[in-house]
Amino acid sequence: MLQVLKRSSRGLLAAAALATVTLTAGPIQAQDPVAIPRLASGKPDFSGIWQTLSEADYDLEPHAGRRDAPPGPGVVEGGAIPYLPGAQEQRARNFEARAKEDPRLKCWVLGVPRGVYYPAPFQIFQRDNDVTLVHQLGNQVRTIVTNGSDHPEEKQQEFWLGDSRGHWEGDTLVVDVADFNPETWLDRAGNYHSEELHVVERWRFVDPDTIAYSATLDDPKVYSKPWTIDVLLHRRRDANFQLIEDYCFTLQYEQYYPHHKDGQ
Amino acid sequence: MIARRTLAAALLLTVGTLPQIALAQQPAATTPQPTAPGIRWSKEVVPIASGEWTGPRLADGQPDVQGFWSNTISNHSNFTDPQAGPPGEPSGTAKLPRDQRAPSRVSDPADGEIPYRPEARALQADFARNFANPTKPEYIEPLARCAPAGVPKSFMWHGYELRQYPGYVVLLFDSGTRIIRLEDGPPLADSIKLWNGDSRGHWEGNTLVVSVRNNNGKALFGRYGDFMSENGTVEERYVFDPEGKRFNYVATFTDPTVYTRPWTATIPNRRYTDADEPDGWHYDVQPVNIASDTPRYEHHERICVENNGPFGGGAVGVPFDGAVIAR
Repeated sequence: MLQVLKRSSRGLLAAAALATVTLTAGPIQAQDPVAIPRLASGKPDFSGIWQTLSEADYDLEPHAGRRDAPPGPGVVEGGAIPYLPGAQEQRARNFEARAKEDPRLKCWVLGVPRGVYYPAPFQIFQRDNDVTLVHQLGNQVRTIVTNGSDHPEEKQQEFWLGDSRGHWEGDTLVVDVADFNPETWLDRAGNYHSEELHVVERWRFVDPDTIAYSATLDDPKVYSKPWTIDVLLHRRRDANFQLIEDYCFTLQYEQYYPHHKDGQ
Repeated sequence: MIARRTLAAALLLTVGTLPQIALAQQPAATTPQPTAPGIRWSKEVVPIASGEWTGPRLADGQPDVQGFWSNTISNHSNFTDPQAGPPGEPSGTAKLPRDQRAPSRVSDPADGEIPYRPEARALQADFARNFANPTKPEYIEPLARCAPAGVPKSFMWHGYELRQYPGYVVLLFDSGTRIIRLEDGPPLADSIKLWNGDSRGHWEGNTLVVSVRNNNGKALFGRYGDFMSENGTVEERYVFDPEGKRFNYVATFTDPTVYTRPWTATIPNRRYTDADEPDGWHYDVQPVNIASDTPRYEHHERICVENNGPFGGGAVGVPFDGAVIAR
């Protein structure tokens, strides 16, 4: 270190550049065991507060800027969601009605995968047998079970967040999410699914502060074939950053509490 | 749709002390029970002394108290006479001599009453008078709208789960989640007021000590409308017994704008494990689909408002629609 400190500023810059290159090369060397946080078990440790920088929640597909959305290059592999013909029409109706019909407007549970790329932070708490996600919006909570169990034997329970069962493939957490209800949307543009939705998520570190998140969505009632989105999740590193509960569905009535004297 | 029916049934349990609701939603049901089925009615609150922790520890040194927990003396219907039922809906035991029901959750002062200032007592009493037939929005129990149950009501509702991580204790309730931070950091600005407040804690032997600030005071403590204001702070002590089978939640409430002096609540809790049978309330769990013989049970997603909208008391039928946020 002393050697480094004695170097000229140009030398320091070169060292910094080298460090940057090394970090950039991280994803290619994803097997490097010291590059990412790990639990005592050796599994990657995703604990922390994460948030997307993408425009995915505005519209998963490529779109120019419009009144209610900034432009975005799209996060769907191949560009477009492969809707079945009738479903494409439903999606168009959703788009027209988005200012009123998007379930997010009621601050309801966004579902999977939407909660992951909604532009608000979420915190991951991780143990060997499960991964808990607490999303700031609505404080919705999802548990990804990693104890070797399968989806419940009882089917058609129609969970808002589906039922999440994860396993490790190397350093990638692969999560099978099934048994959804048809109530949630995928974004603000009216992209949607039915209760037949099946999601396979893949979570892996790009570097210690970045997660590459992908989700493959299949729904034989709505899509002609499975399709995949890719977004990056960034660690919130603002000083002393913490989740602040956001039970926004209470906003329409919270003014009534606690007690008021008459007329107040 | 099964999930919705299951939840509706669970919520009927929630309002099981309110016969008109059961009749409205289950016309074919048998005569409603005077008390909600499945709710524990222990009459005892066994003291647990603070001291050293001799049980198992997690790798980070915390006492390992993870798992499913629930209170043991009924629900939030009545804070100071826990087994007497909600306002206007006395329980089957309400007519018995007072000492045949669990004691008040107010353990200090000794009279079991919250030491309200007169104007605050009047507001609480006004809510209680209007609970059964709310004619204004402010008389609807906030939990009936699926608002977070807050501090301390979350400990008096359904069973809940406690998970621990380095630097955190996380409580997963059916109505809201609390993240208790174990590491010091600057507090949130006082101007931020929250349903569950902001919790900072640390362990002292067998006791988790938590300071709860930034309370919005909106959740109320139960159906009699007991409350603190946004000026209230809570110092919680979760005192675990040596076997980790029980803990007492002992919380001191300070709010000079509402109370004449600080007062303390005690809520007894017990742990539920695979050795217990699910009961749909305190231990509301489902079978795990796993090849090995453990774990036997798990809890599926905790969702309230999206499935049900308002429920409970006179609040049934209150509209819940339209945009709430624009972000």
